[in-house]
Amino acid sequence: MLIRKDICVGCGRCHPYCPTDAIRYEDLKGSVDQEVCYECGSCLRAKICPVEAIEESPHVYDYPRALRKYFSDPNATHALTGIQGRGTEESKTNDVTNRCGPNEVGIAIEVGRPTVGMDLKNIQKITRALARAGIHEIEPNNPIISMIQDLKTGDLKTELMGERVLSAIIEIQVKRERLAHVLRTLKEVAREVDSVFCLDVYTQLEPGLKIPSEVLEAIESEGFSWRPNAKINLGLGRAWERKIL
Amino acid sequence: MTHSLHREGTLDSLERDYALFIYPARGFNYEGSGPKVRRLAELLYLQGPSNLIVTSLRRNLYSGVTQEEVLNSIQDGARVYCAFNNREKLREALVKIKETNEGISVVVSGLIDRVQEIAAEIGLNPHTINLSLGIHGCTDRLPPPDIRQFTTMCGHGMVSPGLVRDVIRKIKKGDIDFWQGSLILAGPCTCGIYNPHRSEELLKDLAPLYTFNRL
Repeated sequence: MLIRKDICVGCGRCHPYCPTDAIRYEDLKGSVDQEVCYECGSCLRAKICPVEAIEESPHVYDYPRALRKYFSDPNATHALTGIQGRGTEESKTNDVTNRCGPNEVGIAIEVGRPTVGMDLKNIQKITRALARAGIHEIEPNNPIISMIQDLKTGDLKTELMGERVLSAIIEIQVKRERLAHVLRTLKEVAREVDSVFCLDVYTQLEPGLKIPSEVLEAIESEGFSWRPNAKINLGLGRAWERKIL
Repeated sequence: MTHSLHREGTLDSLERDYALFIYPARGFNYEGSGPKVRRLAELLYLQGPSNLIVTSLRRNLYSGVTQEEVLNSIQDGARVYCAFNNREKLREALVKIKETNEGISVVVSGLIDRVQEIAAEIGLNPHTINLSLGIHGCTDRLPPPDIRQFTTMCGHGMVSPGLVRDVIRKIKKGDIDFWQGSLILAGPCTCGIYNPHRSEELLKDLAPLYTFNRL
């Protein structure tokens, strides 16, 4: 994002809208620190500027800076997934897709969220740790996959090093018996990550909204706990497009 | 997509905070989903949600957009995200959605025990759960928990900690009231699940604890 100095009146109204404090003041005018700005567009969407001095940068869609936009602006549709946002449909349509089967778990690691943001090197720290631990089941439809140079090592494309996004999600799907192994790996790499990450696990339920004991035991065995609130797919969906073979 | 499972706050506060999502699945029931999603959105409006958007328009309930504009924008693939501040409203919405039987995925984010109760009461069989295992890494960089109660209500982290503090400052100066402050905070959330009713309650609790510099 940009603030045009020739128009800005320095009122400061835009300042609190930036989730990452990228708006600075120089010579009584607002300006956007291009290193810190994630191109989320929150300042522009707020329509708070009385003189319309806030604009999208002309270079916002230049690669690799475009990744900032795709991963930070919730209204931007990612070129790879065709989905607005950073993830995939995950658990939300699992009643229809059965993408995560009865003996599997999905794990989502959202790096940079909430609000802290991160350098993509932090994604590489995690993908490398997962690869070293023999965990290669990264969701193929997640935008992260387009950043990875080598799934065997977890290396990201070199041109992405130093690029920053508000957050990005690493999605994995493994058999339930491997959940503890994945969580142990994440617990260890958490010490190296120079940001924060939100961690979540999704699984099919047993009748009566009963969470499979195998999943809960794996979570507890690695010293994690789960919050009292969760996202629950109510099982009301059904497919009508899929061809029956 | 939304981050609703990581919403923070006390149990008492989360009792009055539920997010509901209507979500067609690509390649499975995406084609032809528009009219069905529209009927479900109409049902949600009848239950008085605290907030609501459709992804084809991305304008929240308080943006000045009319219900007709929102409904007319719905096409195949559009999703609906909304928030309820009341268990009974959520329950009634789910009763109607179940009766309508449109076959589109419905996800509720809220206290597991409460969703379990509602599902049992109205005969739903939940399929999948997404559990939050919390925040890890350099957690000392996070804003304090009282501010995170607000910022985590926006799924994409668009409600900045600075805006929460700015709203508290304006309330304490008498420039705006609690509800106006809540609507300011709901503005940046383009996923439409920021719950301004809960936010108003939180602001009333929090404002007395903050001091501000009139200069």
